[in-house]
Amino acid sequence: MTLSAADFAFVSALVRRESSIVLGPGKEYLVEARLIPVARQTGAASVAEFLAAIQRHPDPVGQSRIVDALTTNETSWFRDQDPFTALTTQVLPELIANRAANRHIRVWSAACSSGQEPYSLAIALRETLPAGWTYEILGTDISGEMIERAERGEFSQVEVNRGLPVQKLVHNFERVGAHWRVMPALRRTVTFQRMNLTAPLPALPPFDVIFLRNVLIYFDVETKRSVLRSMGRLLRPDGWLFLGAAETTIGVDDNYERVVAGRTSAYRLRAAVPVGTAGKG
Amino acid sequence: MSVQYVPTVADLNEIVEQVWASYLDPEGVNPLIPVESAADASDIHASVSITGSWHGHVVVACSNAAGKLAAAAFLAMEPEEVTEADLIDVLGELANIVGGNVKSMLPAGCFVSLPHVVSAPAQANHWPAAVQVCELAGLWSGESIAFSMWQSRELTGEAAA
Amino acid sequence: MHAIVIDDSRAMRLILRRILGQLGFDVVEAEDGQAALNVLEGMEQKPDLALVDWNMPNMNGLEFVTAARDNPQLREMTLVMVTTESEQSQIVRALAAGAHEYVIKPFTSGAMVEKLALLGLVPSGASL
Repeated sequence: MTLSAADFAFVSALVRRESSIVLGPGKEYLVEARLIPVARQTGAASVAEFLAAIQRHPDPVGQSRIVDALTTNETSWFRDQDPFTALTTQVLPELIANRAANRHIRVWSAACSSGQEPYSLAIALRETLPAGWTYEILGTDISGEMIERAERGEFSQVEVNRGLPVQKLVHNFERVGAHWRVMPALRRTVTFQRMNLTAPLPALPPFDVIFLRNVLIYFDVETKRSVLRSMGRLLRPDGWLFLGAAETTIGVDDNYERVVAGRTSAYRLRAAVPVGTAGKG
Repeated sequence: MSVQYVPTVADLNEIVEQVWASYLDPEGVNPLIPVESAADASDIHASVSITGSWHGHVVVACSNAAGKLAAAAFLAMEPEEVTEADLIDVLGELANIVGGNVKSMLPAGCFVSLPHVVSAPAQANHWPAAVQVCELAGLWSGESIAFSMWQSRELTGEAAA
Repeated sequence: MHAIVIDDSRAMRLILRRILGQLGFDVVEAEDGQAALNVLEGMEQKPDLALVDWNMPNMNGLEFVTAARDNPQLREMTLVMVTTESEQSQIVRALAAGAHEYVIKPFTSGAMVEKLALLGLVPSGASL
């Protein structure tokens, strides 16, 4: 452990400012481990030297590399399984019944990291939607580096081992050198965009389903509330929001209600109370 | 002859990184640090031979200390508990994993041999009939490890592996 | 739950045994496909799971999977290939022969747990 308290404070302030993610005490080890490769790329002899240089001469590229290194996590395909099972067995059948007119489904994978979640969603929709239906997936992440990686759609052997059923691997990916690349037909259904969920969100057509998983846990309650409020405006009135297993809207934003979705929970916007029937009792 | 894809040092690096992430450094805190050459990575050589549409060898060479560290990490034991049998097993399996992944990048129809482990090789160059295609040398906890690929010369020069 | 680990590398068998042991499996080992068939023949209760390497002396993993599929006594056993063979064509061959899942070496212990969860052999969300 060579990271000084001052260096740790600098990094945690930077990461909090850029991403609203809080790196509390005890994360010094994580910070140092994640910054070793970043420091090495810049030619610095150590993390301490790298951080000293960047504090002397603030450099946006170096700063964004620090934020990237600390805000990205290894992700699995069909992570946690249950939300995907709920999507294919409950949510999509209901949406298929409600969207017979335009036969199109829009899904947002917010904080998509290196792309496993949006591509998993694309595989699930492709396998579940009846013929004649179309879908589009938007993947967003705060990290520009992650968005570039996700757009390439190439994954290492270790990455495709993680939670991806082998039948789905051989149907949706092709081997390219040491990697596996998402097949073009699937790749075309997913678009990626860099987005900071805590900043004002761009204007987007509304979504039928939003996956916002394992993101809110990093935010304080005010930030959680503001993110949930702005995402609620981009969710169709009969849409579905999926959060991480340790996350909830309860006690944060009363515009959502928790509903059972298969073996897990999802969140839906409370129906606006029609004018004239709002009895106060 | 058709043009064949031959894996590069970047491919070797990607495979090696995955081996580190899986077995030798799952926490991501003790990576292999690339160096120009690992001259003292010569106590133990583990290799597999590839035959079929491509002929050659994939070699893992390391110092005794690096080998013990690798075996200890692989087998979840302390380096001082590592026996010679452990060392041979683990380095053989490392050569098998790296060689198997290299094979998957080569044209179809190649086969990987069972691993062959030699301690204290007398000379660095085992295969007079093969030329080195690429090498990835690095320091791990200050100890030398090198991964290399050797391609057999065309036709009659094939040496026994 | 019972499992058999079939790999000619003792180091790999130890890694797999460690992961399965932590998940509560009773584990037996075999160093090639033929040895595995011999061990299985003598077992009263057949394992729920076999982790099978591909390249092994005597009988390779593909031959073992084919033999296991053809043996009515082993029909309930879930077959997972654990191998460096990672060309698409090889994976398709193994699936056609009867393998249920496929783990490419190198793999992290987390990846192995996730694959077993996909097969319903450990609870979804299990970790070591």
